[in-house]
Amino acid sequence: MGKEKYEESSSDEEVNSSSDVVEASSDEEVESSSDEVEASSDDVESSEDESSSDNEKVEESDSSEDEVAPRNTVGDIPLVEWHKDEEHIGYDIKGRKIKKQPRKDKLASFIEGADDPKNWRKIYDEYNDEEIELTKDEIKIIQRVISGRTPHAEVNPYEDYVDWFEYEDKGHPLSNAPEPKRRFIPSKWEQKRVANLVRKIRAGLIKVSDQNKEEEHNVYSLWTDDTDSVENKKRGGYVPAPKPKLPGHEEAYNPPVEYIPTAEEINSYELMYEEDRPKFIPRRYLNYRSVPAYDKGVKESFDRCLDQYLCPRTRKKRINIDPESLKPKLPSRKDLRPYPTTCYLEYRGHMGPVNCISVDPSGQWLASGSTDGTARVWEIETGRCLKIWEVGEVARQICWNPSPDRPILAVVLEYDVLLLNSGMGDIDIQTKMKELLHISEPGATEDAGDSKSAVTWIQHEKHDGIRMKHFKAVSSIEWHFKGDYFTTVVPSGDSKAILLHQLSKKHSETPFRKLGIPVTAVFHPSKKKFFVATKKFVHVYDLSKVEKIQKLETGVREISSISIHPGGENIIVGSKEGKMCWFDLELSTRPYKTLKVHSKDITRVTFHRTYPLFASASDDCTAYVFHSTVYSDLNQNPLIVPLEILRGHKPEHGRGVLDCKYHPRQPWLFTAGADSIIKLYCH
Amino acid sequence: MPPKHYRAPGKKKEGNAAKYITRTKATKYLQVSLNTFRKLCILKGIFPRVPKKKFEGNHKTYYSMKDITFLAHEPLLEKLRHKRAHEKKVKKAKARKNKELAERLLNRMPTYKLDRLILERYPTFVDALRDLDDCLTMVHLFASLPAVEGERIQVKRIHNCRRLSHEWQAFISRTHSLRKTFISVKGIYYQAEVQGQKITWLTPHALQQVLTDDVDFNIMLTFLEFYETLLGFVNFKLYNSINVKYPPILDPRLEALAAELYALFRYVATGSTRKPAENQSIASTEEKKDSDEKMDTGVNESDLQLAQLQHQLPSNEPGALMQLLEDSNNDDDDVDQDTIECKTLFKNLKFFLSREVPREALLFIIPAFGGVVSWEGEGTPFEETDEDIAYQIVDRPTQGHKFLSRHYVQPQWVFDCVNARIILPADAYMVGMVPPPHLSPFVDDEAEGYMPEYAETIKQLQATAKKNVMPLPDLDNQDLADPQNLIADGVMDRTQANEAAEERRKLQLLEKQYHDELKMEMSGITYSATLSNKKSENSGSEEMQHKDEVVVPVSTEKNDEDDRAKLYMSRKKRGLYEAIEISNQRKKDKVAVLKERKRKAAASKSG
Repeated sequence: MGKEKYEESSSDEEVNSSSDVVEASSDEEVESSSDEVEASSDDVESSEDESSSDNEKVEESDSSEDEVAPRNTVGDIPLVEWHKDEEHIGYDIKGRKIKKQPRKDKLASFIEGADDPKNWRKIYDEYNDEEIELTKDEIKIIQRVISGRTPHAEVNPYEDYVDWFEYEDKGHPLSNAPEPKRRFIPSKWEQKRVANLVRKIRAGLIKVSDQNKEEEHNVYSLWTDDTDSVENKKRGGYVPAPKPKLPGHEEAYNPPVEYIPTAEEINSYELMYEEDRPKFIPRRYLNYRSVPAYDKGVKESFDRCLDQYLCPRTRKKRINIDPESLKPKLPSRKDLRPYPTTCYLEYRGHMGPVNCISVDPSGQWLASGSTDGTARVWEIETGRCLKIWEVGEVARQICWNPSPDRPILAVVLEYDVLLLNSGMGDIDIQTKMKELLHISEPGATEDAGDSKSAVTWIQHEKHDGIRMKHFKAVSSIEWHFKGDYFTTVVPSGDSKAILLHQLSKKHSETPFRKLGIPVTAVFHPSKKKFFVATKKFVHVYDLSKVEKIQKLETGVREISSISIHPGGENIIVGSKEGKMCWFDLELSTRPYKTLKVHSKDITRVTFHRTYPLFASASDDCTAYVFHSTVYSDLNQNPLIVPLEILRGHKPEHGRGVLDCKYHPRQPWLFTAGADSIIKLYCH
Repeated sequence: MPPKHYRAPGKKKEGNAAKYITRTKATKYLQVSLNTFRKLCILKGIFPRVPKKKFEGNHKTYYSMKDITFLAHEPLLEKLRHKRAHEKKVKKAKARKNKELAERLLNRMPTYKLDRLILERYPTFVDALRDLDDCLTMVHLFASLPAVEGERIQVKRIHNCRRLSHEWQAFISRTHSLRKTFISVKGIYYQAEVQGQKITWLTPHALQQVLTDDVDFNIMLTFLEFYETLLGFVNFKLYNSINVKYPPILDPRLEALAAELYALFRYVATGSTRKPAENQSIASTEEKKDSDEKMDTGVNESDLQLAQLQHQLPSNEPGALMQLLEDSNNDDDDVDQDTIECKTLFKNLKFFLSREVPREALLFIIPAFGGVVSWEGEGTPFEETDEDIAYQIVDRPTQGHKFLSRHYVQPQWVFDCVNARIILPADAYMVGMVPPPHLSPFVDDEAEGYMPEYAETIKQLQATAKKNVMPLPDLDNQDLADPQNLIADGVMDRTQANEAAEERRKLQLLEKQYHDELKMEMSGITYSATLSNKKSENSGSEEMQHKDEVVVPVSTEKNDEDDRAKLYMSRKKRGLYEAIEISNQRKKDKVAVLKERKRKAAASKSG
């Protein structure tokens, strides 16, 4: 066996102690004891073998039942004292006395121990009164126990945990549930400490100061000299609250008499809206002692508090400027003379509002049409009515032919357009006119299939002219500058809304389709261009190619009239909301300038043919005269200067000035009013 | 479809949404209740802002995000949380009927200090002075409020407010920095100038104040809490600047007689002359003296004793006070002209306040302008019988016994003198008379476009006082010296009186003309127009009508010119122009209303 291996091991305290104990053991019992040891060692050995083979066996070997039962049966009694004087040390299992081993004297046992190399592993078992020799494995176990390890080397104390049972959160190694209060164990130490403190407080050893009275005057020099402005900058966003308004004279207890409102005025405050009502009504007390306490004092202070923390604050720049400096610097009106300023003549005779006027290209005659169903021609210089046509219907528009050798008047009635011979000019012209205004066979000249139903050219017998019967109501007419072509607008005519007519051939056509509802149409004064104004846009067409070139966005609600500058590159547009837009065709399709001129509808805008003037007439009974210089230099914007407001017409049924036209050569303006008067304004 | 202002998760907010936060979100962010948030905002001086774009709707309140993060790091926030927790404990204890615990807890309520906040909000002293208006008004208001248990206005706080306001007044009075005063219906306005800052505050009339239900005292008390601390520190700094030890130690006897202000004056006057090094020792001796007095009064409260003490102390007091004041006057040379003017207004004048006169206001104002004042009651500097008293302020229908050597004037006289910076003739302010109208010194009459009659009179008086004699004020003096009175006095004989009357009439005519011309100039009528005006006036009513006709087209022409220019303006400028015009018109209308009322009043008087 392995006993021999420990022979050379050095002597220990253990060894000594064992040798001490061994002294008393007798020789006789040695054999038996050795047997015992052998048996036990066998047992260990076997268990060792088994343990190496199987873990369960190891556990079995731990149980005390398998050990050999002790020889002695006396139990746990103080052996040394009770059996000191006895021959025996106890009884075996059958009740027989177990004899004490003979005592060795110390010397003999020492010598024996010194001779025996295995002496150090012998220990004396007092209970059984025998000497036991420990085996190698037992020594190992003892050593492991001494060093604090598990007795058996095979046992792994840190074995992997095996979850045998199913439970919640099985997958988590740890639980983070808070420690329940039932698990709390009050600290005894703390309890003692608290009890101690309580005792001391009761005894007056510790004083509890409940009030810190000393804080009342806890002020010190908060602002030292080194508080610089750097910290100021930190709060860049800080806006100090505005200071409350300082009181005026009216808040005095004894204000001057004029600051006290009369009883009627105070009553009238009651009728005001609450916001407008004055918050403070001055009162006069004749002496200081009669002034009562102000009942709203606390409330006002509270309101101020609310303002301070509830009202959003922003920095607003208050501009303190002279209102005059806001006005633009306009060139002096004196430099822009001549322009119409004063009413020079009035043409009276119409019985109803004068809808339209037109000036003869020669500048001698003025034609006018009115709601009283007449069209008249006046001599401009004298104001004499020269001729009256009873057209029978409301004359919506009237227009002289711009060519001087064709003194023809076009008058727009409801559905008809009348081309009348004005009877001006010498005999040659008159004969020509008669020829021109003669239609041999009614409707024969119409060849275009589309316009067949749109217009019929008929001879007008009564006034010796031509009557063009349209299929729907006509709103406006405009001549081409050469005097042969003219255009009429039928707003509800859909695809046939714009009609072009040729007088010499008595021919009509509708070149433009797919428009909105046109308001008016105008020819370009020199080029082959054509302008059609719908409600919000002005379309520019090329007549030779019959295609749209431009679409001008006015930005107004409803266009009422347009006019083309004689140069042809600028147009003005008047709207029904009283705005006037100036377009520079080369600049943009948006207005170069929009002027809010009138408070009511603009009825007519018009350019002067030679002077740099234009005018607008409106239902608010005024006509405005403007100066407009258009420069040939493309980089320079046109100069527009408001010049004069012409007044004088009276309103009738909510309408004011219905038409205005310039004289072709003089800076004179004609205005036709709803009060059935035509006025001439001269410079 | 994502919401309108969709922001991908993890992406930072941008623009206004990053810079501003609504109030609800701010409270959530700070994890505080609205009440706490309100309190924090008040104490920290945080106010809502107007973002350029109100990203959460128009009706919400927006705060700057910076302000809110600033609040989030505020130690006070934690303190308030502690306090709230503590309050809960108290409540719990009370609910469990554990009175003892509740009381103990109440006694150790967590407290906080606001000094750091004040320094944060007002990094420099001037900043604090600039924002002092509201503070003073509030403190003065609370000083006059009754203590209400339900509203949690504690007596302690009211006393503190009183103390602070008196300290402030004592300083202002001592440094003669009061500039303007005004008795309004709401109370008395004062304006002082401290370190170049104009500070205006309102004190309610010394009457029982009316408490209304529609006021949340929690908010006001939070404000007051801050203001009390602020004013305490400001006072400390100011007292230090004139070498006076700050928490002033008052004469308890005077305090008991409710004359704290006077006690303070005495303290300040004595303290300011000493060197700061001495300060300590003197304060201590004074304290000793005070304690002695206290003991005395405690032991023996007999009237005799009090009277004795009175005679002991203030026997040399007024003179000494003046002496001290004069001394200190010589000290500071760097004071401005204004201060000197204020200091010398009531110099060498003695005032006496009758019993019915509101003492505190006048006790504050008169010394601020260099006068010496006494009142009826215990512990006063001098008695009513003092022969040197120049003015006695009375506010009663009739005065029984009159000393010939002094003027009896109504309180308004003092206020008017102070505003005009001259000693006004006291005739108009005599006892039993209706005093002339009281005018606000805060109004710039020229800018307002209307000058009340009495303002003109005062102006003339000022001009005479400056010896800068204009042709008209001279006449006004004569106006005051009515020849009839002079006859009565026996100064003039009848012929002289007649002459004087003649002269007066002439001068009056001249004056009228001058005024008319002035008015015309103000209304913008040119000289030529006035010439025609004069003609028309001379030639009678017919031509007047004619003139009217002429004038009308002129005005339309001017309108035309305006319209012409307006046409050409851009919309923005036109709007601005119109707004200015409207406001000018409003101003003119107001003046017109005043003139009309005055005309009517004059008519009713004469008719």
